[in-house]
Amino acid sequence: MVGWIGRKTAKGVAYASDVLYLAYLSFKELFAGSPRGRGEALRVITRQVIFTGVDALPAVSLIALLVGFIVIIQAGTTLPRVGAGPLLAQIVVLTIVRELGPLITAFIVVWRSGTAISIELGNMRVGHELAALQAMGISLTRFIVMPRMVGAIVATLCLTVYFDFVAVVGGFLAAKIQLTIPLAVYFGDIADSLSLADLLITVIKAGLFGFTIAIICSHHGLLVEKSVTEVPQQTTRAMLNTVTICLMLDIVVTAGFYL
Amino acid sequence: MIKTQPAVELEHVSASLERGERVEDVSLVVQRAESVALLGGSGSGKTVALRVAAGLEEISSGTVRLLGEDPMELSEDEYVNLRRRVGVVFDRPALISNMSVFSNVALPLRYHTLGNDRQIEERVLEALREWGVEAFRDRFPAELAPADARLVAMARALMFDPEILFIDEMVIGLDAWGVARLRAFFEKMRAKGVKTIVASASAPNSLLQLMDRLLFFREGRIIAEGKPSELSKATDPTVQALFGT
Repeated sequence: MVGWIGRKTAKGVAYASDVLYLAYLSFKELFAGSPRGRGEALRVITRQVIFTGVDALPAVSLIALLVGFIVIIQAGTTLPRVGAGPLLAQIVVLTIVRELGPLITAFIVVWRSGTAISIELGNMRVGHELAALQAMGISLTRFIVMPRMVGAIVATLCLTVYFDFVAVVGGFLAAKIQLTIPLAVYFGDIADSLSLADLLITVIKAGLFGFTIAIICSHHGLLVEKSVTEVPQQTTRAMLNTVTICLMLDIVVTAGFYL
Repeated sequence: MIKTQPAVELEHVSASLERGERVEDVSLVVQRAESVALLGGSGSGKTVALRVAAGLEEISSGTVRLLGEDPMELSEDEYVNLRRRVGVVFDRPALISNMSVFSNVALPLRYHTLGNDRQIEERVLEALREWGVEAFRDRFPAELAPADARLVAMARALMFDPEILFIDEMVIGLDAWGVARLRAFFEKMRAKGVKTIVASASAPNSLLQLMDRLLFFREGRIIAEGKPSELSKATDPTVQALFGT
């Protein structure tokens, strides 16, 4: 048993150090002074932002609307029964802006873009594309990982803010069929409940989640060695590990701000 | 001084790839402007030797010098500069699948910012024309026939006008038209006498006659060496079976 725990711990530490090293190399490339590859990296960043952010808007809109509707209708109908009706806005800010917005957006990004990154890099490895890049003196971290990291961070940030807005505003408008709270009162309460810390926390979480998704999924894609059968295996691991680590980071950030 | 150094020097090199192919105690020298073919069956070690010589694989013992430098001892910037002097064509085209043919061939120039957009476009179109694949400039790799993809890979590998070109499995995937293009390229390079070529092949083909020297690999070692006309006199039964008269 002790041996098993020891082996698992050692494996976990090795995994964390590999992922953190890849993150370090990517940040190093991001702030490197050399102009080499900047234009190409910018093209990849743009593509990543469009795929992860713009193309995800329909899915994020629908899910945000549904989540906002569920939270607001539940809170809006339950809270008045216990005499806590005025707390609706606070509950909405607490659940959507602080927690569900960043988390659900991160899950959508993992499902859509994280898997895509892992599969793409895995297939590139199998197809010798990564070897060809290295043979041309093209840095994999500068051309492959760093642009995906930057693109994922930017897109996840924007999507999270968009998710929060659609869930809070659209969710309320949808729930209005059941609720009697006037629109102006609701938005006034939301504005009063929303602190700078809430906005900061949503931005920090979104940035962290975007970074985590890109780095972990890139890491697993690059772990593929020679067979296409490794690609789905690494992608599954990437998804599982990314979601777990995002949840852990969420707890750490929440604890750091509010406890 | 540097110009007189061989293009490739392998001294008592041992190395292995993850898939099991290996070389053991291989020594070879390729002079500048020389064209050399590494021959042998699957798993004979010719691909490992080619990749090691191209500075793409780490070795377990021995020394490697590519254009006078040990690729594994260079700083990042020095390594990148060395890579710009070396072209590599893999046994698969290895084109970037989410980029068009044009972007694939332009990639090395764009990445290393060698010229403005107009200059790069001119150079890329010229290369595509030279290899007969200009009509496919907007296609993606998955839309190409294997022979065309291979020619695009050749065009891409030559974008830096490298001093040395490595071609793994020189005729694999090529149709008769592609082989003719490659023949024309070899003949042109031979006439100019400036580019070093190291190519590998699993089976005899007509292009081997254009090589200055052939090295025959088996079980990770060089078992025969000589000019194309000399290899038919080799005593090894495997070489005899393939090149004997």
